[in-house]
Amino acid sequence: MKDKRHRLDFLIDIFPFGTAPFIILMITLFASLWLVFHPAVRKKGNLSLWVFAHMHYNAYKKLAPEFEKSHPGTKLDLQMVHITAVTSRLRSAMWAGIDVPDMVEVEISFAGTFFAGPVEQVGFMDLKPWLTSSGLYDRMVKSRFAPYTNRGKIFGLPHDVHPVMLAYRRDLFEQEGIDLSKVATWEEFAEIGRRLTIPGKRYMIQLSDSGHGHIETILFQRNGGYFDKDGNVILDNEIAVETVKWYIPLVAGKDRIASDIGGGVVFTKALEDGYILSLLCPDWMTKSVEDDVPRVSGKMALMPLPAFEQGGRRTSTMGGTMLGITEKCKNKELALDLTKMIYLNREDLADRFRITNIIPPYKDAWDHEVFREPRAYWSNQPLGKVFIDLADDAPPQYTSPYIWVAKMKLGEVVASCNIYYSQNGEKGFDEFVRLRLKKAADDIRKLMRRNPF
Amino acid sequence: MGKKALLIIVYLLLALVTCVMLTPMLWLVAASLKSKEDLFHYLFFSPRPSLANFRLLFSDIPFFRFLMNSFFVSGMGVLTQLFFSSLGGFALAKYEFRGKKAIMTLMLATMLIPGQVMLGPVYQLIYHLRLMDSLWGLIIPGMVSVFGMFLFRQSMLKIPDDLLEAGRIDGCSEFRIYWNIVLPVSKPMIGAFCLITFMGAWNSFLWPQIILHTRDLATLPIALNQMVGVYSREYGTVMAGTVLSVLPVMILFFILQKEFIAGLTEGAIKG
Amino acid sequence: MNIRSAKFFLLQRKAAPYVFLSPFIILFLVFGLYPLVKSLILSFYITSGPKARIFVGLDNFRFLMGDRDFHTAVKNTTVFTFFSVFLQLPLSLGLAMLLNHSLIKGRNFFRFSFFSPHLFGQVFVAVLFGIIFAPQFGLLNRILHFFIPQIPSDTKWLANPKLIMPSIVLTSLWMYVGFNMIYFLAALQAVDRDLYDAAHVDGANAFHRFLHVTLPGIKPVAVYVMILSTIGSFQLFELPYVLLGQSPGPDNAGLTIVMYLYLKGFEAGDLGYASTIGWTLALGVLVISLLQVRIFGMWKREA
Repeated sequence: MKDKRHRLDFLIDIFPFGTAPFIILMITLFASLWLVFHPAVRKKGNLSLWVFAHMHYNAYKKLAPEFEKSHPGTKLDLQMVHITAVTSRLRSAMWAGIDVPDMVEVEISFAGTFFAGPVEQVGFMDLKPWLTSSGLYDRMVKSRFAPYTNRGKIFGLPHDVHPVMLAYRRDLFEQEGIDLSKVATWEEFAEIGRRLTIPGKRYMIQLSDSGHGHIETILFQRNGGYFDKDGNVILDNEIAVETVKWYIPLVAGKDRIASDIGGGVVFTKALEDGYILSLLCPDWMTKSVEDDVPRVSGKMALMPLPAFEQGGRRTSTMGGTMLGITEKCKNKELALDLTKMIYLNREDLADRFRITNIIPPYKDAWDHEVFREPRAYWSNQPLGKVFIDLADDAPPQYTSPYIWVAKMKLGEVVASCNIYYSQNGEKGFDEFVRLRLKKAADDIRKLMRRNPF
Repeated sequence: MGKKALLIIVYLLLALVTCVMLTPMLWLVAASLKSKEDLFHYLFFSPRPSLANFRLLFSDIPFFRFLMNSFFVSGMGVLTQLFFSSLGGFALAKYEFRGKKAIMTLMLATMLIPGQVMLGPVYQLIYHLRLMDSLWGLIIPGMVSVFGMFLFRQSMLKIPDDLLEAGRIDGCSEFRIYWNIVLPVSKPMIGAFCLITFMGAWNSFLWPQIILHTRDLATLPIALNQMVGVYSREYGTVMAGTVLSVLPVMILFFILQKEFIAGLTEGAIKG
Repeated sequence: MNIRSAKFFLLQRKAAPYVFLSPFIILFLVFGLYPLVKSLILSFYITSGPKARIFVGLDNFRFLMGDRDFHTAVKNTTVFTFFSVFLQLPLSLGLAMLLNHSLIKGRNFFRFSFFSPHLFGQVFVAVLFGIIFAPQFGLLNRILHFFIPQIPSDTKWLANPKLIMPSIVLTSLWMYVGFNMIYFLAALQAVDRDLYDAAHVDGANAFHRFLHVTLPGIKPVAVYVMILSTIGSFQLFELPYVLLGQSPGPDNAGLTIVMYLYLKGFEAGDLGYASTIGWTLALGVLVISLLQVRIFGMWKREA
C-alpha cells in the first residue's frame, strides 16, 4: 500500500497536470516518433504533373515508363488531385511558392482565374513562342486557345475541342414518324417538342433549369458568351438577352419541353424509359452515356445541333481542359517533351479516343482510321468523324480572371428568371431579363474596374 | 394522475430528442460497416457487416498518417497551450505587478475580435517564418490561448494564499509553487481546458486548409473533406473515415465529462 | 538561508509574473497584435496574391457597402443568427427544463447523448450531413418519404437555393442544442429552491413560477449564452462551406460573411479586400454584442 502511493507521488512530481494530459502526452510522443520515422514525402520525382480526370491519369500512367526510358534520369511524379482541390491547392501553392507542380491540367472554367494580377505574376509559362516556332499553332483548332489566352499570352495547351451535338433516341422519334436528323433549326425542334412532350411522362430534351452549364453552351453557339476577345463583359448584350428569353420558356412554366433531371441512376432510367428524348452531348459525354445507359445501345444517334437561323452554326462547346507548364518548373524543355508525348502523339491520341471518345484539337491526328470506325451504340455512326466535322466550327470561349464569377452570375440570372417566368409567364419578361442580365454584367464590370492590375 | 402523466410525457419527449440526436450517429456507424453492394439496399445496418471500408482507408489512402498528423498537431497544441496558459493564468491570478491591468485589458480586447480578420497577415507571417506547409506552422500560432489563460486565472483565484505562502516558507521557488502546489489543485480546470483545446485543434479546418499544401501533411478534417469529392458515391468509405475521426474526441470527452461541464459552466454562472 | 540566496529568492519572486507571462507576451505580439494591425492596414489596399498591392484608402469599404454578394452574405448570416438565437436557445432551455425534472433517472445518459453531436466539430458534421442530405440514398429523404410519401424522395436539400439555409439551420440545431443545454441545465440547478417554494406558497401556478422565478434566475446565463451564440453564429463558415462542397451553393444561398472573406482572400487573391470584410464583421459583431448587453443587461449576477 505504502509503495503504491510513493510511485504515484513520483509521477505527480514529474507531471502534475493529471491523467488526461498524461495520456495526451503519451499519444503525442507516439505520433511524433511515428512521424519522425515516416517523414512526409514532399517531392517525388523531378517532373510533377497534377491531373484531375481519372481517364487522363490512367492514360498518362501508361505512358510514363516510356517517357522515363527515353529521358534517362527522369522520374515522373503523376498526382491525381480532385478537381476542386486542383484550383485551391494550385493557387495557394503558387502564392506560397511551395509545392508548385511543374505541369498541371486545369479545367476550362477555372483557368482564367489564374490570370489575375500583373501579367508577370501569372504562374504559367507563355507557350506562344514555342507554339509559333514549332508551327504547332496552326495545326490546332485555333478557337481552343481562347479560354487559355490572356493579354496576348497563351498560358495553356488545349486538351480537347469538345464539340457539342444533339444525342437522341432515334428509335422513339422514328416511332412518331420523325427523322430528327432532318431538323435544321431550333424553331422546328421546339415545335416538334411541343407536340411530343407529355408533362410528367416525356420531355423533348434534357436541359438544366438552374446553373450556367447548358445555357452557356447555347450562348456560345450563337456567338455570345461571357467576355469578348478583349476581355470586356458581354453578358448583357442582345444575344444574351435573346438567348435567355428563348431558353427559359423551354425549361420553366407549364409549356416547357425540357426536363432538368440530373445524372446518375436517375438519368439512366430517364433515357431508358424515354422520359427524355434528347440531350446536349459533347464528345466526352457520349462515353458517360454509353457507360451509364447500356440498354439503349443501337437506339441512340447523334446529329449536329439545330441552328438558330438557316445556315447558322450547328455546334457549340462544353467543358475543356488545358495543360499548363508553371513558371516554377525547373526544366521547361523536359516539360515540353512530355507535353509532346501526351498531347501530340498520334497513336496515343487514337488509343485515348477509343477509351474516352474525346477527339484531340491536334489536326494532324484526325486522319487516323480510328475516328472513322462505326459505333454500334450510336446506330453505326462514325463517332470520331461526326465530331471532327464540327471541330473547326467550335466557338471560342474567351476568358478573363473573372470567368468563374461570371459563370456564377449567369447561374443566378437563370435561377431568378426561372422563378419569374414560372410565376408571371411572358408578362414583363423581356424587361426582367434585361434588368437581371444588366445587373449581373454590371457587377462583373464593377469588379473589373476596381482591378488595378 | 397529473404527476405520473407529466413524468411519462417528459420521458417521451426526452426519448424523442435522443432519437433525433443519435440517429445520424447510428447511421454513420452503420454506413461505415456496409459493404459496397449493400450500400444502397439497407437503410441502416446490413445483415453482412464488413470492415472493407476500414481496410480501404488504410490501404488506398494514407489514413494512418493523417491520424498521426492530427494527433501530433492536436496533442502538441494541447500540451503547449496547457503549459503556457496555466502559467500565465497563475501569474494573472496570484501576482500584482506593474502593467497587469494594461495586459489584461489588451487581452480582453483581442478576444472580442473574430480571428478570421487575421487570416491574411498570419498567412504571410507563416510564409516569412518559413513555417509554411509544416505541421509546426499549425501549432505555433495557436500556442497561447487568451481564453484559456482567463479560465485558469478564474479557477486559480480560489486557491488560498496561505498554501502559496507555506510553499515559500519551505523555500520553494515561484516556479515550484506553480508546478507542485498550484497545478495538482487545478486538475478540474486542466481537464476542461484539455478537452476544449483538443477539440478545437482536432476539428480545425480553416487553418490547415490554408497553411498545408503537401498531401502527406493533411490533418483529418482536410483529408476527409477531400475524400468526399472522390468517394461521393461510395460513401461507406467516407463514413468509415468519419467514424475514426470523431472517436478520439468522443473518448476524451467520456473520460473528462465532469471536469468539462464544470469548467464550461463555471465561467457562465460565476460571471 | 544566507544573504545572497535570500536576495535571489526575493528577486525571482518579483520577476516571476513577468517570466511566466513572457511566452504569452511574445507570441501575442507576433501572432496576435502584429497580424491585427497589419490586417487593419491591409484593408486599405487591393492586393493580388502575396506580393502585388495598391493603396486605395477607404475605397474598399465604399465598394463593400455596394457589393451585392456581400449583401447576400450579410442577409444569410443574419437569418442564420436569428434562428440560432430565437429557435435554438428556447429549444435548449426547454430541453434543460425537461432534464431538470427532479424525478428523471439516467440524467447523465441523456446529457451525454444530447451533447455528443457537438463533439463532432463542424467539418465532420458537414461531411456526415452532406451524405444524409443526399437526394436518393440520404437518410433524411428516405425517412421523410417513408413517413410522409408526399415528400419526393429526391428532394435536393443542398442544390435547391430555397432549401439550403433551412438545411444549414437544421444541421446547426443538431450540433448546438445540446451544447447550450448544458449551460441552461447548470443555471437551472443553481436557482434557489426556496424561491420556488415561496412562489408555490403564494399560489403561483407553473407558468407563473416559470416567468417570475426561473427566467430571472437564469437571466445572467441566458444573456451570456445569447451573446456567445450570436458571436459564434456570425462567424459561421466551415459548416456551410464543407456541406455545399466548398462553394457558396447555387445562387449564393449558403454564402456567409466569413465564407465571403475566405473566397475573396484565398480563392480570388485579394487579401486587402478580405481584411476589409474581416474588420467590418468585427465592428458589426462588436456593435451587436454591446447592444445586447445594453438591452438585456450585463450577465453578472444581479444582487
